[in-house]
Amino acid sequence: MSENKKLKLAVYWASACGGCDVAITHLHEKVLDLAAAADILFWPCAMDFKYKDVEEMPDGHIDVCIFSGAIRTSEHEHFAKLLRQKSKVMAAYGACSCMGGIPGLSNVTTAVESMSRACLESPSTLNKDRTLPALSADVPEGTLTLPVIWDTVKSLRQVIDVEYFIPGCPPSPEITWAAIEAIVSGKLPAPGSVIGGNKSVCDECKLEKKNEMRVGEIKRMWQIKPDTSQCLMEQGLVCIGPATRGGCGALCTNVMMPCRGCYGPVEGVDDFGAAMLSALASVIDSNDEKRIAEVVDSVPDPIGTFYRFSLPESTLRRRKIAKEGV
Amino acid sequence: MSNFEPTIACFLCNWCTYAAADHAGSNRKTYHSGIRIIRTPCSGRVEPDMVMKAFREGADGVLVCGCHPGDCHYVEGNYKTERRMRLLGRMLEQFGIEPERFRLEWVSAAEADRFIELVNEMTEAVRKVGPMELTSEAVLASEKGGAK
Amino acid sequence: MGPKTGVYICECSGNISEKVNVAELLKRFAEKGDNVVLGSHALLCSEAGKAFLDEEIKKHGIERLVVGACSPRQHEQTFRDVMENAGLNPSLVQLANIRELCAWSTEDGQEATVKATALVNAALARVAFHVPLEKKEIDVNPDVLVVGAGVAGMTAALSLAQKGRKVYLVESTPWIGGAVVKYEDVFPNLECAPCMLEPIMDQILHNDQIQLLTNSAVEEVKGFFGNFDIKINKKARYVEPQNCFGCEACYEACPVSVPNAYNYELSQRKAIYTSAAGLLPNVPAIDTANCVRFKGESCAACQESCGFGAVNYDEKDELIECTVGGIVLATGFELFDCSKLPQYGYKDNYNVVSTIELERIISSNGPTGGEVIIGGKKPASAALIHCVGSRNSETCNYCSGICCLSSLKLSHLLRKNVEGISISHFHSDLCLPGKNEWEFYNKIVLEGTQFNRVGSIENLKVEKGKDGLMITDGENTHGPFDMVALSPAVVPCKDSKTLSELFSVDLDAHGFLSEAHNRIGPSATNTKGVFLAGCVQGPKDIQGSVVQSLAAAGGILSALVPGEKLELEVATAMIDGEKCAGCRICNSLCPYKAISYSAEEKVSIINEVLCHGCGTCVAACPAGVITHKQFTKQQLLAEMMGAL
Repeated sequence: MSENKKLKLAVYWASACGGCDVAITHLHEKVLDLAAAADILFWPCAMDFKYKDVEEMPDGHIDVCIFSGAIRTSEHEHFAKLLRQKSKVMAAYGACSCMGGIPGLSNVTTAVESMSRACLESPSTLNKDRTLPALSADVPEGTLTLPVIWDTVKSLRQVIDVEYFIPGCPPSPEITWAAIEAIVSGKLPAPGSVIGGNKSVCDECKLEKKNEMRVGEIKRMWQIKPDTSQCLMEQGLVCIGPATRGGCGALCTNVMMPCRGCYGPVEGVDDFGAAMLSALASVIDSNDEKRIAEVVDSVPDPIGTFYRFSLPESTLRRRKIAKEGV
Repeated sequence: MSNFEPTIACFLCNWCTYAAADHAGSNRKTYHSGIRIIRTPCSGRVEPDMVMKAFREGADGVLVCGCHPGDCHYVEGNYKTERRMRLLGRMLEQFGIEPERFRLEWVSAAEADRFIELVNEMTEAVRKVGPMELTSEAVLASEKGGAK
Repeated sequence: MGPKTGVYICECSGNISEKVNVAELLKRFAEKGDNVVLGSHALLCSEAGKAFLDEEIKKHGIERLVVGACSPRQHEQTFRDVMENAGLNPSLVQLANIRELCAWSTEDGQEATVKATALVNAALARVAFHVPLEKKEIDVNPDVLVVGAGVAGMTAALSLAQKGRKVYLVESTPWIGGAVVKYEDVFPNLECAPCMLEPIMDQILHNDQIQLLTNSAVEEVKGFFGNFDIKINKKARYVEPQNCFGCEACYEACPVSVPNAYNYELSQRKAIYTSAAGLLPNVPAIDTANCVRFKGESCAACQESCGFGAVNYDEKDELIECTVGGIVLATGFELFDCSKLPQYGYKDNYNVVSTIELERIISSNGPTGGEVIIGGKKPASAALIHCVGSRNSETCNYCSGICCLSSLKLSHLLRKNVEGISISHFHSDLCLPGKNEWEFYNKIVLEGTQFNRVGSIENLKVEKGKDGLMITDGENTHGPFDMVALSPAVVPCKDSKTLSELFSVDLDAHGFLSEAHNRIGPSATNTKGVFLAGCVQGPKDIQGSVVQSLAAAGGILSALVPGEKLELEVATAMIDGEKCAGCRICNSLCPYKAISYSAEEKVSIINEVLCHGCGTCVAACPAGVITHKQFTKQQLLAEMMGAL
């Protein structure tokens, strides 16, 4: 990007809660700096744009596209590909875009199961006619269509090439600003880089590791009043911090909330959920087969615990679908 | 399905089960040729991730073997294996991987016959549940879509 | 293009090639490109085979090697040597076990060829990730610390005290000799124990290579195999050995009299004392807990009585610091407290004694000068009850192994001491292992001793009858007896737990210090460089203790040679300190205590000297910052994927 030109920025959300868009505004007064440095060409969550605005852009017109949300529907994929074509740099922003995030947990089900749960079975749903959304509907004005929901949620890099990853649920203002500063100043790290800490959350966590790690019993948050000076895992809580990339400033553990892993793996680790599973199991303080089984069985929902934000990026990606089910 | 020959990745501890597999060979006892043995210094070196990667890379079954409890060459590596593989087993179930496909067993260096029985038995059990076909399923499923 | 890699298949003189089609196998690798060199040989492990490989390596400029042959358990070292001789790093070879795991164990030739191809492919994929590993050596201190100056500790110290090696022999009491000098005679040869130990003790006192520190305790142990830093507190004795001549005049002068624990309180001693006559070094010590001067009175009776000025009330504890390469723990045992099993009437009845008390009563330097007086008179009849506390899941769930023989010996000594005494043993089994022990038992039987086999020792009851002690076993009543001696189990020494923490040696289920391996590592511990000798590791007789001491000494002598360096295990794990966030997950996992945590740097550290390379910490690290040098994750995954 040349000196005299303002940076051309696009911000998009796919399967996301909108928290990432809020996180950008969480920059507070720095948003003004951002506005001064960049022209926002597209940000559907914040301003009124039409898809055709993007379609009409020449290829590579956008300098940087900040893409939040996982890829769950045909529309998400279509737009990810379109924005890739129109952008020089793609940045996956937030846990969903980087790893599939919370929507990625639906990889333990299929689209049909999810839809049925949402529209028919959920206790808060009243749907006497058992109506399900249709992919297309004819109305007097023409035909309305809906995107197809897929069985498998994907991370952004599983559908397009991505240059940078800005993890977090949502990314902290510090990380967001660091990324924007790097983009604006042109001092970008090597493509493929993750903008975040170099060590795991433990490095930033102020809670003290008082002993060698041994877990005699797995405890849930509601079962204990944690000692506010001691490592949560030492107190029996499942904290994903040891496996999770820092950079967040250990926001959660510093207020006694165990880390859930939203920043993803540290450099060099491929499947950090599996790594954390191994770490936690390793420190179960028993050699007795029965006791080991008891402690293991008390770990709540292993996939949800270890892959809360990263199931689509995990080694197995999703629950195996029975042959006849496909 | 009947002529499906399962491939089973076996992570074997150097000091016990790998030795048992060596002895099985020395005794000229044959077993199913889909057995693929990876030697590790101790069953405690096996990472849960390696088991999952084996499934992803096309193994129809994964077998992890170590020394009997109390007999670990490295004092208590096998207890750590027990802890890890048990928790992994619970998670694999959530991934829809049939329990027949994943086993943790203790086989000493003296138990060559038991090793053969074990791999033959596991081969038959995996043959019954069919090929793994995980990778293609996961990828294909996303293309096909489900919601009506 | 990667490094030039040789793939060589051994036909193993037909063992492999009769099943695996070697030509077809090699054909599959032909497309790998110019950087893969292929070849085969009739027998690669033969001299001709090794020469062939050497030639090939040099001819093609091969940098890495895959050998499709037999089990690495058989010939990995062979091919590492080939590499080294060819000037390559021995870590850059990988074996594919296509004999045991394939040719010999696969029925069908076609299937065997497919499988062998997969195994060779796996090795080829793996070797690409191998890195050269360098042998490392460290400087070591050949000196040794021996804790405990009983028969085990003394034996170890004497074996170790050689030219160029100093031994620090630390004994907690003021005198050496341990448990054995308490005995009059020992089984099975009925040798006089103090006489047997005399030459050993003499050497201990006069060997220049041995620094004997009595009345001392190890307070701190830091460091690791080859370089342990030790702090020893040498407690004040208040009697200067260089001036004391052992005349005992001070005993007479001392106004304090207290029960003598050495004789199980069956006699009295003074506040300045030796526990028994003849103990070495023959220098008394002041027991400050009982001395009235140390309680604030102005008494100086012992000092005034000493004609040589040997008593020095101003002596201070001395801190001794030393560095040693190895450690032998030989702190002995205790005996089960018989009062914990009330059915035997111990402590309720003066005529019920433990066998160790009987040892002292019989001993010529014991409370009665060797005359057997129980309850004020010579006993005309005696009962010995075996297995008190032993083989009982509630108390000591093991057989102590020495108590039967010690009871038989006491039987013999009683008979020698008290003419015409009738003796009955009560046992449920007899433990008489060894080449002399059975004969010994027969000898005691011939002396006229009665043996009563009972179903359960625990159900025996000792009660006072009108003519003496009666023993009932539920159905029958035996007696009366003038005395009953209880043979207690051997239990861990009272310092066991402290020692375990101080020296980082695990305790076993019974509370004894734990050996590295019950069968093949009976003297080493899981802390490299720390060895066990004698009953600190478990009950055993004198012979067993001496054998274990020599084993401990041998282990240290062969590992720590003065002037030579210590070669370290190559295949260890290492932590990347730049990436470790100090989660401490790995800390408790190492069975060899090789991992420590630096609170200052907030990282965990692996001590390469202590690491055995099992890899359990590697598999546990949630941040992937621990690497096993010979089984990296990349290598294992490459091998696995190559095999599938």
